[in-house]
Amino acid sequence: MKSLDPRVNRLPEISNEVKPKAPLDQLGTFEVFVQAKENKPFQHEGIVHASDIELAFVLAKETFTRRFTCVALFVTDTRDVFVSPLTESNINAYDVLPDATENLKQNEESFLIFHLPKRGKQHVLVGNVMASSPLEAMHQAKNTLQDGKPVFNVWAIRENAIRMTSEEELILWQSLPNKKYRDAADYKAGDKLTRFLEKNKS
Amino acid sequence: MENIALKELLYKIADDQLILGHRNSEWTGMGPLLEEDIAFSSMAQDKVGQSYAIYQMLHQLGEQEPDTVAFMRNATQFHNCQLVELPNGEYDFSLIRHLLFDTAEYIRFDYLSTSSYQPLADLAGKIKGELQYHTLHANTLIKKLGTATEESINRLQHSLQVALPYALGIFEPSPYENILIEHKIFKGEVALQQAWQEKIEFIISKTQLTLTDWKVLQPVYGGRVGRHTEHLQPLLDEMSEVFKIDPTAEW
Amino acid sequence: MYGGGNTFEGIKTDSVAQEDPILLAAFEAKIERGEKIEPTDWMPALYRKQLIRMIEQHAHSEIIGALPEGTWITRAPGFKRKLSLMAKVQDEVGHAQLLYSAAETLGKTREEMIDDLLNGKSKYSNIFNYPAFTWADSCFISWLVDAGAIVNQLANAKGSYGPYCRALERICAEESFHLKYGHHCVIYLATGTEKQRQMFQEAINRWWAPMMHFFGPSDKISAHTEILMKWKVKMGTNDDMRNQFLDMYVPKIWELGFTIPDSNLKKNVETGRWDYTEPDWEEFKRVINGDGPCNKERIAVRRIAEERGKWVREALKSPSVAYVTPLA
Repeated sequence: MKSLDPRVNRLPEISNEVKPKAPLDQLGTFEVFVQAKENKPFQHEGIVHASDIELAFVLAKETFTRRFTCVALFVTDTRDVFVSPLTESNINAYDVLPDATENLKQNEESFLIFHLPKRGKQHVLVGNVMASSPLEAMHQAKNTLQDGKPVFNVWAIRENAIRMTSEEELILWQSLPNKKYRDAADYKAGDKLTRFLEKNKS
Repeated sequence: MENIALKELLYKIADDQLILGHRNSEWTGMGPLLEEDIAFSSMAQDKVGQSYAIYQMLHQLGEQEPDTVAFMRNATQFHNCQLVELPNGEYDFSLIRHLLFDTAEYIRFDYLSTSSYQPLADLAGKIKGELQYHTLHANTLIKKLGTATEESINRLQHSLQVALPYALGIFEPSPYENILIEHKIFKGEVALQQAWQEKIEFIISKTQLTLTDWKVLQPVYGGRVGRHTEHLQPLLDEMSEVFKIDPTAEW
Repeated sequence: MYGGGNTFEGIKTDSVAQEDPILLAAFEAKIERGEKIEPTDWMPALYRKQLIRMIEQHAHSEIIGALPEGTWITRAPGFKRKLSLMAKVQDEVGHAQLLYSAAETLGKTREEMIDDLLNGKSKYSNIFNYPAFTWADSCFISWLVDAGAIVNQLANAKGSYGPYCRALERICAEESFHLKYGHHCVIYLATGTEKQRQMFQEAINRWWAPMMHFFGPSDKISAHTEILMKWKVKMGTNDDMRNQFLDMYVPKIWELGFTIPDSNLKKNVETGRWDYTEPDWEEFKRVINGDGPCNKERIAVRRIAEERGKWVREALKSPSVAYVTPLA
């Protein structure tokens, strides 16, 4: 290929035949949650596609936290997120949960609970509960994690299905504030412009 | 004397990072999957950013401005190892080079974090997180792809064989090795190479790849004294194409 | 950054009559109240189809848009420009990632979308079918094409589909650096040497027509999209967006002493809108249908990238994970 782009000129020749890709080299889906600042809760930010939870973590780091600030992030397989009904108007999602089977207090484990406080916004982490099923976890959360305001959607995720940032990895975001070239505030040319305009006036 | 030794060390670190950062940036927008494209670009930026910081140190020591140093020298004036100037090839080669180089870089800066030359020690502290991410990324992908399909294993194995002699060129003996050690500036290339080999052996042992016996490998030296492959000068010409339209202009 | 000039060719609204009237009324009332529609909410088939089409086009525009500017990554003059341009083009790839994910929530996989880009079924912003000849062209793109895109994106961020709006909010926050970076580059060219000024003037001359095309065909000739406006899929007319852009940026271009190659361009004091020579819509159609200077190269480069990356994606496939639709 002859191009203005030297990078393109270096590309290997590949046949021009259009063939549909073998279905699917589409990888799995992982949900990404980010804590932007020390005193803020983890918030759902989006997804990455990856082969496993470890690679999802590695890829989520640059996909979602290369700009602004970040304290920590975690990822989980989308299939491990249990979702309540989504409500509207003033209906509280907790009020329309299906009934939970009797709590047997058996094999309890920790679930992280997320609320959607406003339609159109992101889910935020509100805390964790001990339960033996995701539905039971939501019923627990209904009693312990509500602050009176309606919640439009609840997510429950088993804590052990999460790839959390480890203690030693907290350093990964350490140099983020130094990367000024990603910050709009670093592009000041006002003085140059003013001098230019003044010179042209005279 | 101590100053010359320090400058030699700084130049080779900075040149390595600039050239490899430049090479890796060629993948931006053309990576194998979007998320990986983004991650690889960040690491290329980190490398260019780190080289910039070291050229600024050199400027403090009396060398020219970073832009002049980076954009106006010829290939023979560059001190990078030949590994970093080789063309990207396919993604397997780029990943293997990323593993081999960044593993060395991580250990190098770990040593430098206790350097008697304070600016270097400070920088090493500042970029520790970046380097940790680079090795996390390299290790995760190599482990994954090095145990996956026949094609991925063969590709990585082939690239590993091509890259290893060049990778040993990272540790090309320095005439100032003893001075650097004596003045506690840097623990030296010999120690670095030893630690690097152990680390690489460990990572490769987690995969279905095999390492050639270190003893039979012929290191490719020359880069540190300005002897380069045919690939470096065209890279520099391309890099400085706009800058040289008018080197005195502000761009 | 991009996403201008979405084309909605004569959409068929017949299917809307077949939707459940009660559900449809509730859906429209929700949009009317300013609430967002989420992936699991009921939605008309036409809404889903048009949204996928629009978000997908936007995503393609990002990934293809990374190419003309990417042309200059290896040649950016000086450390600062080198770092900025790398980060900027990377952001465009990141925006594609966010937008594909938003479109995926509507039921089309990223892979299907990329297939449709490569086989030509799905379009991208026309402006990226033009070449970036010099460094100044890349500065034009960073400043003005991004500015145009921001006009579009800020409007679309007020649309009705939750995942798209959230992606756009994130994108707009990131774009603020692009716009400032682009303007910074242009100020340096404008206040620099004669040669630098000339480079940028030539870039304007080359890019002005594609820039006017960027917002899509004039309202006089474009397909009727009332229902998409009502459903807050399309948030403003093409001419409104174009006018907003001219209002914000023509004065800034003139301020730097450059000329714009359209002698009819001026603000009409009576209407408060800009007069200009009607862009050549025949050329726009010709280029969007494949006959532009770079269409072939752009798609070929994407195809090569896909082919070269295939072994990586195949090796990463694993029986323990499966593709599922993203949640939000």
